[in-house]
This record gives sequence, C-alpha cells and structure tokens, in this order.
Amino acid sequence: MRLSQIFATIAVVITGCILLYGVSDFPGFGDPHSPANAGVPGSESVSQYFITESYGDTKVPNLVTSVLADYRGYDTMFETVVIFAAGMAIFAILGAVGGGGQPREQSEEPFFVNGDHSRIIVGTTCRLLVPVIQLFALYVIGHGHYSPGGGFQGGVILAASFIIIALSSNLNAALRRLSEANYLRIACIGILIYAGFGVLCQVLEGNFLDYGLLQPVLLTDGPEMARSHSMLGVEIGVAFTVTAIMFAIYANLSSRGTLRDGL
Amino acid sequence: MTDQIPAILVLAPLFGALIIGLAGQKDHRVCFPVTIVSLLVSLFAAFGAVVEVVRSGEIDYFMGGWEEPIGIGIHLHIDSLNAPLLVAIGIVSVLVAIFSIRRIGDKNTEKTPHFYSLYLMLCVGLFGITIAGDAFNLFVLIEVSSLTSYGLIAMGSSRRGTLAAFNYVLMGTVGASFYLLGVGYLYLMTGTLNMQEIHTIFLANPDIASSKAVAISFILILIGIWIKMAFFPLYGWLPNAYSYCPSSSACILAPLMTKISVYVMIRVMLGVFGIEWVFASPGYSNLVVWLAVIAILAGSMLALAQREIKKMLCYLIVAEVGYMVGGAWLADEKLWGLTGSLYHILGDAAMTLCLFLAAGIFAKRFNAIEIEDLEGLFKKAPWTAAGFVVGALAMIGVPPTCGFFSKFYLIRGGIEANHWEFVVALLVSSLVNAVLFFRIFEIAFFGNKPPEGHGHHEEEVAELKEEHHPEIPTWTGTSSLLVASAIVILLGIFNGEIVELIRIGLEDLPQFASRL
Repeated sequence: MRLSQIFATIAVVITGCILLYGVSDFPGFGDPHSPANAGVPGSESVSQYFITESYGDTKVPNLVTSVLADYRGYDTMFETVVIFAAGMAIFAILGAVGGGGQPREQSEEPFFVNGDHSRIIVGTTCRLLVPVIQLFALYVIGHGHYSPGGGFQGGVILAASFIIIALSSNLNAALRRLSEANYLRIACIGILIYAGFGVLCQVLEGNFLDYGLLQPVLLTDGPEMARSHSMLGVEIGVAFTVTAIMFAIYANLSSRGTLRDGL
Repeated sequence: MTDQIPAILVLAPLFGALIIGLAGQKDHRVCFPVTIVSLLVSLFAAFGAVVEVVRSGEIDYFMGGWEEPIGIGIHLHIDSLNAPLLVAIGIVSVLVAIFSIRRIGDKNTEKTPHFYSLYLMLCVGLFGITIAGDAFNLFVLIEVSSLTSYGLIAMGSSRRGTLAAFNYVLMGTVGASFYLLGVGYLYLMTGTLNMQEIHTIFLANPDIASSKAVAISFILILIGIWIKMAFFPLYGWLPNAYSYCPSSSACILAPLMTKISVYVMIRVMLGVFGIEWVFASPGYSNLVVWLAVIAILAGSMLALAQREIKKMLCYLIVAEVGYMVGGAWLADEKLWGLTGSLYHILGDAAMTLCLFLAAGIFAKRFNAIEIEDLEGLFKKAPWTAAGFVVGALAMIGVPPTCGFFSKFYLIRGGIEANHWEFVVALLVSSLVNAVLFFRIFEIAFFGNKPPEGHGHHEEEVAELKEEHHPEIPTWTGTSSLLVASAIVILLGIFNGEIVELIRIGLEDLPQFASRL
C-alpha cells in the first residue's frame, strides 16, 4: 500500500467512527415521536405542519410538490440555477462556440443508413420510442401536483428522448431538433419563468414567490388555487431548464465541445 | 422598496446572468453593461441594507410570505454582522467587473458571455450565502457559488488551471457533503432548518443541545466549511486553483470565497449553536486556536518560499484565514477576537483584492509571473505599483491601513484570552510579510535581480507566460486597483465606526447580554 492510501484509509475509518458515534444518539428509525416527526417541546415540527396544513394552503394533494415548489420554492429556484450554472461551466470549459443557430456543416445523414441492418433496427425502435417518452415526460411534468413527478424528473425524461435520437442516429440529428442557440435560450427562459412568477408577486406588493397574490392575474377562485397553478408554472420553468441543460451537457461531452459527430 | 432589499440583492445579478445567457451569445457587447448595471443595483441595495440596519436593527424577509409558524418557509436575515459584508461583496464584484473588461475575451471572445454569466451567478451565490437564515438554503447557495467558481477557474487556457479546478471540484464536493451531512443531523435532532429556530430549541432544551449527534453535526459542518475556506490542513486545493486561473477569476474568488466561508463559520457558531455552547469546553477552542497558529505560521513560511507572485499571495490567504479562524475562536470575555475577525473579513477582502488586481495587471502588461520579473516596475507603472504598495502595507499591518487595525483587535483579543501563542503568531506573520514585500519593493524599485539560475522551473514558467497578452494596457485595471487601495485606507480610517456596527450586532445576540 502506498503512503497516501494508508492516510486515506485512516481518514475514512476515523470519519466512519465519528458518524457511528453520532448515530448512537439518534431517535429510533421510524419513531413517530422523533423531533423531525413530532417536534420538540416548545416547537411544533415543520413536517407536522406540512402534513396537516399544506392541502388547505395550496390545494395540491402531493405535499412533496407543495413543499418543494411553494414553501421552499426559493431553494428550488436555486437548484435550477445550479443546473444552469453547471451547464454554463461545461460550455465555458469545453469552449463551445455560441450563436450558431444551425448545426455545423456536417452532411445531413439520414436516419437509416442503407445496408446497415443493425442500425435500421435501432433506428426504428428509437423512432417509435421517442414520442412515447416525450408524452410520458409531459405527463410527469404536468402531473407533478398529484403524483410523484415534477419539473426535474420530467425534464430529465424529455432530455432523454433527445439523447436517444442522438445515440440512435447521430448528434446532428438531435441538434437539428434542438440546436445549440435554442437550448441555451430555453435554459435561460426556464429560470426566467420561475423567477418571473416570483417577481410578479413582488410587483403585486408581496414577497418574492408569494403565489397567493397572483389570484387576480391567474383568474382563479381563491389564493389557494393561484398557488396551485403557479406551482405548475414554475415546474414547467424547471422542466425547460433541465431539459435544455441535460441535453446540452450530453451534446458537449460526447463531442468534446465541438458538437460534431458525437458518439 | 426597502422591505424588498434582500430579494433585490440576489435577483439583480440573477436576472443579469439570464439576460446575458439570452442576448449575450448573439452580441457580446451586451455582456459588460448588463453585468455592471445588475451589480450596481445589488450594491445599491446593499447600501440600503446598511442604512436600514443602522436605523432599525435588522431586516427579516420571508420567501413566499411564509412567516408563521417559523421554519416552514425560507427566512432571509440581515443584521449588522452581515450588512457590511454585503457592501464588501458589491464593491469587490463591481471593481473586478471593471478590471475584467475585454480581458477574458482577448483570445477567444466566444467565452465572454459564459464568463460574465458565471461571474454574475457567483455573485448571486455570495449574496445569498450572506443573507441566508436557513441552514439548507445556505447549502444550496454554497453549491451555486462553488459550481460557478469551478467553471471560472477552469475556463482559462492553461492546462494546469484545469487540473487545479479538478482538484478543487473534488475537495469542494467533499466539503459541501460534510456540511450537508451536518445539516441533516441537525434536522434529525430538531425538526427544523431555520437557524434562529434551531438556536431557540437548543436554548430551551439543553438535553438536545448536549447530545452526541448535535456535537457531531457541529464538527461535520465545521470541517465542511474549513475545506471551503482552506483552513490549514485542508488548504491543498487553493494555491494552484487561484494562481493558474484567469486573472479576472482570481480577483473575484480570492477576496470573497474564503472570506464568505469564514463568515458562514461565524454565523453558524453565533446564530445556530450559540457562543456559550461552542465555547463550553475550553479544550476545543484551544485546539482550534492552535490549529490557527499553525495555519498562520505555515502559510507565512510557505509564502516566503514561493517565486511566483500569485502563488505567494495564495499562501498569504492561507495565513489570513488562520487569523480569522483563530480570532473567532479566541473566546475572550469581551469578544474582541470575534470582533477583530469580523472586521478582518472586510479588511482582508479589500487588501486581497488590491494585491490580486495588481498581480493581474503585472501578469497582463509586463508578463511578470515571478517576483524577479518585477524589476524596474516603479518606473514602468507608477500607479499600479502604488496600488500594490498600499495592499502590501495593509498585509504587513502599517497604521493608516485596515490591516493594522484588524491586527490590533485580534491581538487585543489574544491578550485578553491569554492566548499568547496566537499573539506571537500574528507578530511573526507580520514580520514575514514585511520581509516578503520589502524584498519585492527592493526588486521593483532598485531592480537587483538575484543572479541564480532557475533550471527546470523556468520551463514551467515559460509555459505560463505564453498565455498572457501584453497588448492591452488599459486604464480600467489601474483605476479599479486605485479605488481598491483607497478602500483599504478608508476602512482603516473609519475602523471605529465599522467596529461599532459589528459590536452592536454582537450585543443584539441574546447570549451576550451577560458578557458585554
């Protein structure tokens, strides 16, 4: 063993021991009276509030979505910014050239290559799969209030459909559908939608992301439904950014930033 | 409008970054004005925050209007401890933006929009960290600022910069994970993420506060933040990352990233766990002060051994982080150490900015990477040299500059806490800084180059030099350097007022009613 490996092992063992030492003091697994579930004396638990009140506050049955997109919407906006920043950092490092709009001069390769039978099978299967995947992605985005799902998951699934096009044919075929200039634009527009909802609330003299105030704008009955609809809006914003950045990261990494050929 | 200040602080640069992402790709001329305007809006909001804090004590802002019961929404909090820091972030980011005009883009302009967009998002992260009142929100914004800084460091054309950025990614991720793990432990034990609420729970329930899991969570958070701030044994990523990245990136990261991490540590100590809890057993605070002493001495000695200007400055940052951590942990009765450390965050941001701006100008205009390359500098560029001298004097701790006063408060804290080893370390480090900088002054003024050869080292330096472009001597860099050096002196002259503001913030914390 090299010296560095010995040091690393010692560090890992010490960290593990410290973690185990802390675990010995934890409340029992699944304990309904643990602080996270029932609160501590003198302070109501936050999760208790979410379980009992969130439907009344927001009219969203999936309380994970209501916590994510409303109570802690500010965090979620920055999670989206993290994804956008990761994309930007990758473009900056790999040196992708901006402003093209059209895919580079590479010849338009047909979806099927004559004579290559394996590619015909792959191409046909993927062509059948893509619309189903996209429809499912839209369902996951739009149904995030009611069932597990939402902008992040749906956005990744939507991006996967473009990546499948790129894998089964070539990168150019996918870039023809979602070009470089467009994915950057879509990524920015996604966060703009999210932050726009927040700023609109500020314009209506509330705090940032106080969706209840959007009632006169969204024409809903009651501020609760305004919250529900705004959550759908910001989820769509998240989906825009996640789709664009996921595909962009794939396109840049698979072609070393040139956006040519790919895998 | 004043009640929206916390939101404006983070939103102005965010919208700037998005506008650059949308419009900057087509026309690069959009980038710079948008950057400056959005940062000026934030700076203006930061001044507004200081005025408001002086007038009414503190600003609380509840995202989404979720105020009651406390902890369900996200809470932003500005008081007199972090309001001056907001102004510091605003000023540094504006000055570096002015310095960076056309610099990043001189060789490959297609990266300009990426640079400014990452730059603005970094500012979003820094402002957000400073005003966060929620432990998890703090983590999210640490991620925003870390990811953008990885990008800013790696986007230069130097291969060593990319490697350094990769090291930084690994270390930074470990740090962030430790912090998150600590926050997870805290949530498990208290059932809330709001910092004030956690503190209230600890005060009301001593059995929770004294549990092992809470102690471990504090250690995890502390280690996570120490990695981010490059505290002594965990500083390995910093020197290469900050010296091989583009000058503009180094100028924004070096003054702000480590200092904001120190602030986060102080905020966690004061606002989450409470100072009485943290200093309950003197053994631990003694240990940290000793670590800080080693950090100061090691940083100074390593700086003395460097030949490259930026590398030397990086090791000085390691020593300065030792000052601030040590000061915060002195645990003297009247908290002068903590006061000095909070004041030094501001002062060190200003003087590090000064020195890195000067080093950036040297590298760009005179191809001066090594200290020996500075020969005859005072004749060639008197204004740049003057700015460098002011920054250097502040590092040494010469009276009218802020460096003297922060050392004064730190030493006072050290004496009152009977930590003489810390006092000695501060004085030794000042002495080493004096030796370091007067050696540079001698070379720059009289130009006596040591005759020894470089050998193998020369090739590495030559590789670095190729990437620099002397063709753009601009007034922008020099003017922002001069403003920075003026701030170093102003901070020193007005140290009384700033310290008074910090003391008001410390006195407002309930646990000090007995101490002060």
